[in-house]
Formats: sequence, C-alpha cells, structure tokens
Amino acid sequence: MDFCKTVERLYAALPLRPFRDWLIRIHMDRCPRCQERLLSREEARSLLVRPGQTGDGAALWRRISEEAGRLVPAPKAKGSGGRLAWQWAAASAMAAVIALTGFWLLRQTGGPGFDARAITPADRFEIAYVKVGGAPAQTFVYQPQGTDTVFVWAQKTP
Amino acid sequence: MDEREIIEGCLGGKAASNRAMVETYGTLVLSVALNVIGNRQDAEDVCQETFLQVFRRLDRYDRERSFKTWLLTIAYRRSLDMLRKKRRFAEFSVRARFEPAVLGRPGDIDPADPAPLPSKLLEALSPRERTALCLWANEGYTAKDISEVLACSASTARVYLFNARRKIKALLENDHGLLQNG
Repeated sequence: MDFCKTVERLYAALPLRPFRDWLIRIHMDRCPRCQERLLSREEARSLLVRPGQTGDGAALWRRISEEAGRLVPAPKAKGSGGRLAWQWAAASAMAAVIALTGFWLLRQTGGPGFDARAITPADRFEIAYVKVGGAPAQTFVYQPQGTDTVFVWAQKTP
Repeated sequence: MDEREIIEGCLGGKAASNRAMVETYGTLVLSVALNVIGNRQDAEDVCQETFLQVFRRLDRYDRERSFKTWLLTIAYRRSLDMLRKKRRFAEFSVRARFEPAVLGRPGDIDPADPAPLPSKLLEALSPRERTALCLWANEGYTAKDISEVLACSASTARVYLFNARRKIKALLENDHGLLQNG
C-alpha cells in the first residue's frame, strides 16, 4: 500500500517518459491495487465509438468513390536510379530559377531609381469558385482594415 | 477478397478493389478518426482523405509491415492535421474578432444523425492519449503497435496509454461520487 503511494509520488514528481515507463513496467502493470485505479478495456470500449457502430463501409464508399475515380493508379515501384536523376535535375533547375529570380529582383529593388510606391496592389481580390471534398464550399473572406492582408477560409457547406 | 488481393487490385487501379478496401477498413478508420476528433463530419472528411492518400501512395507501403497499422498511421496523421486546422481557424477568428457563421465544435452533430460519438470525458485527453486508448481498447493493440501508429517509442506509447486510462478512471470515479452525493 505504502509502496504504491511511493511509486505514484515518484511518477508524479519526475515527468520523464523512460522513467515513468520503467515504473509502469516494474510495478503498476503488475500491482492489482494500481490496476484498480486504471480504466479497464471494457470501460474504455463503453466510452469509445467502436468500428461496428459507425455504419457500413458501403455508405463510405459512396462518398469516396467519386474522388477515387479521378485518381490515377499508383505506379508500380520502378528502378530508383532514373527517377532519382530526374529528381536531381528538377531540383537543380528549380534552384537555378530561384537564384536568377532573386538576383533579378535584387537588382530591380536595390537600384537607385526604385520607388516602392510605384507598385500598386491588386485592386480587388476575387475567388471564382471553391470546392471542398468535391462539393461547392462556404467561403469567408476577411480583410483587416488598413492592411493588404486577405484571409480566406473555405469549409464544407453544411 | 483477401488483403493481398485487395492491395494488388488497388495498385492496378481496379475500382472493385478500391471499393473492397473501403468496405473492409472504412468503419475502422472512421471509428479511429471519430474517437480522435470527436466530430462526425470532420471524421468523415478525414476518412475520405485517408483512403484517397492510401490509393495514391499504396506503392510506398512496405509489405513487411502490417497493412492495418500503416492505414491507421495515415488516419491518425490526417486526424491531427484536421485538429490543427480547426485550432488555427479558432485562433484566427479570436484574433480577427469575428464569430464565424459555422464553426464546428466537438460534439456538434445533426440531431437527426443517429451515429454515436465518443464520450465527452475523452476531451480531457490529448489526441495522442485518445489514439492510444482507442487502439488499445478497440483493436487490442500493444504499446509497441501503438508506438508505430504514433511514431514514437514503445515506452512513450505505454506512458500515453497509462495516463489516458488513469485520467478517465479518475474522472469516472469523480462523476460517480458526485452522483452519489446528490
């Protein structure tokens, strides 16, 4: 009894996972008194949603099938050599484009004739159409006064 | 259709295999998402995203590992993404000082929807603790199995599970005591 309390105090006092794991393994997992203070599997099941309670898989398939139909089949694993070379080539090209763009921007903005006021912000922010999960979505657009920042939140139509 | 046939069929892009995959594992994925998120609509979205990701990335599945565990790992990560997204939007709405017209909260469901939700007591747990508890209770997973899904060590998974079991038991006992005391 006293030993259990000592172990509990040690558990609470030292929030180190390996140490706590050690306490659990050497005492709490084996001690009937400590086990009584833990939720049993049956009690946990009564609080959780179980797979059998969520309906049938066919209903889920009806929901997923439309999107799944648009997918291209996952490619079979190929020799990794060719793919790796392509990845390197693409990454190098991208790095070169970024470096050139950065250099060009630096020259444009760093020059003596640069005037930040000459850059005009977009007059109007527009969203033509937003879909979430394959269906038209509710869209909220929020622009704090006096700023050029626009926040967009899209969510499923209830 | 057994698991191997389903996987081969999905890799070949067969719709019948995709369907078999969803029909076989759909309720499992949905139950995990529902227990982690606590909201039916979001859990269904997570379920859909999980299977779409599985169909896209099935070629990366390591046949040496358990398919169910791989699938549940994706479902768990998607559920965490959903929770982060909801938290970010909630923080944003507070900062921007506006009340969104529709902001899902855990437990909000259509009253006509008969599908059950996990107990509100589980809200006292972190998403990792909820996942550990759910996998242990519903799937019979050990700390090592849980650690594969949570991407942590078995020791850490054991501590998550222990904390979850202890917290909920304490809450249940408090509730019981309150009921008895009137």
